[in-house]
Amino acid sequence: MKKLSLSSLLVLAAALALTGCGRPFDVKTAPGLVELDDQEPEYSYRAIAPERVVMAVRVVDTKGRGDLEFWTRATTLRMHELDGYALLGTADVKSRDGTPGHELRFGHDEAHKPYLYVLRVFVANKRLFLVETGGPQAQMERYKSTLDWMQATLKLD
Amino acid sequence: MKRVHLGVSLFFSVVLALATSGCAGAESGGARAPSSGAVPAAASPPPPPPSPDVAAGPGGGALALAMNDPAKAKSVSDSPHSAAMLIYTANLSLAVFQVESGLEAVERVAREVGGYLSSRQDNAITIRVPRDRFDDTIARIEKLGDVTHRDIKAQDVTDEFVDLQARLKNAYSIRDRLNDLLAKAAVKEALEIEKELGRVTEDIERMEGKLKLFRDQIAFSTVTVTFAPVAVEQVQDATILAPFPWMRGLGLQSLLNVHQ
Repeated sequence: MKKLSLSSLLVLAAALALTGCGRPFDVKTAPGLVELDDQEPEYSYRAIAPERVVMAVRVVDTKGRGDLEFWTRATTLRMHELDGYALLGTADVKSRDGTPGHELRFGHDEAHKPYLYVLRVFVANKRLFLVETGGPQAQMERYKSTLDWMQATLKLD
Repeated sequence: MKRVHLGVSLFFSVVLALATSGCAGAESGGARAPSSGAVPAAASPPPPPPSPDVAAGPGGGALALAMNDPAKAKSVSDSPHSAAMLIYTANLSLAVFQVESGLEAVERVAREVGGYLSSRQDNAITIRVPRDRFDDTIARIEKLGDVTHRDIKAQDVTDEFVDLQARLKNAYSIRDRLNDLLAKAAVKEALEIEKELGRVTEDIERMEGKLKLFRDQIAFSTVTVTFAPVAVEQVQDATILAPFPWMRGLGLQSLLNVHQ
């Protein structure tokens, strides 16, 4: 009995490790990108491609304050405050578990080199989830299908 | 005893009834909690409180207490001392948002009341206004800004003026006598008389100048206004960051900086 319990615990621990223990979300890293360790407290998840394309997830404990519209407006205003971010478009999105969100696409010019910055906002379980992707425009377009696939794996707990 | 007791009870019952009816009235007329989803209508804002009466505040070191209040100053000028020779001076300090506009406004006031500009610096101006427009001038100037300091003085120069007039009259007499003597005097004496005549003439000119100054100062009051700019409050641009410091991390700089 003892042995069985111990095995069960080990299995449970392994499962938890695989699922990113402590994270209130799940996301898969696509081939071509590598997940980075120890990204806290800034990011709960960050993965990079060699061509400097990055995807990251932030989790903010809002204690249930503010709805999706509020946080979308707040982040949009914040991006307006930063120099050189042009809002290219917005879209309604959904996470894998069906949580509705908003996507904000920004263009940014850095030393005459165009970059893309995409921000997805979700509100679930008294938390704010910000999924950021960004990189040089040409590389972002090249990795589009990869990033779309990763976005589609996002599940909010 | 029973009747007295009954009367007292009845009295208190009436008082209690009146009190509770007032409370009930207040409760029924009071605000109700808004129904869910409804936005309570904004109550009409109360009228603004009256601005503090700065004119009634402690004034500067005026010779007469009544001088602190221009309204009272008027009454002082109508008092039995109105026959007195009074030189009015006023020193006012005003806090304004734009000093230049304040200076121009004071100069305009001086012209409008029949006065003139005496001197003007970066943040101070001195004007001379007719004595009978002194109170009106003070009242107009005080409306130009927040009065932070007021010092109004009335200097009574009656005795000095009268004394000066008397001495001048005397000096004229002496001059006339000396001129008579000079006409009849021998050469040697004439030199002495001329010397004395010169001294008396000098005295006369000095006294005439002083009287002229008195007359001018009495006829035209002096008002000096010093302006201090009001510190304009610096309202920080509303930033969505506060109280969300994590927002500072948004953007490509943080996202692409994988070396942190």
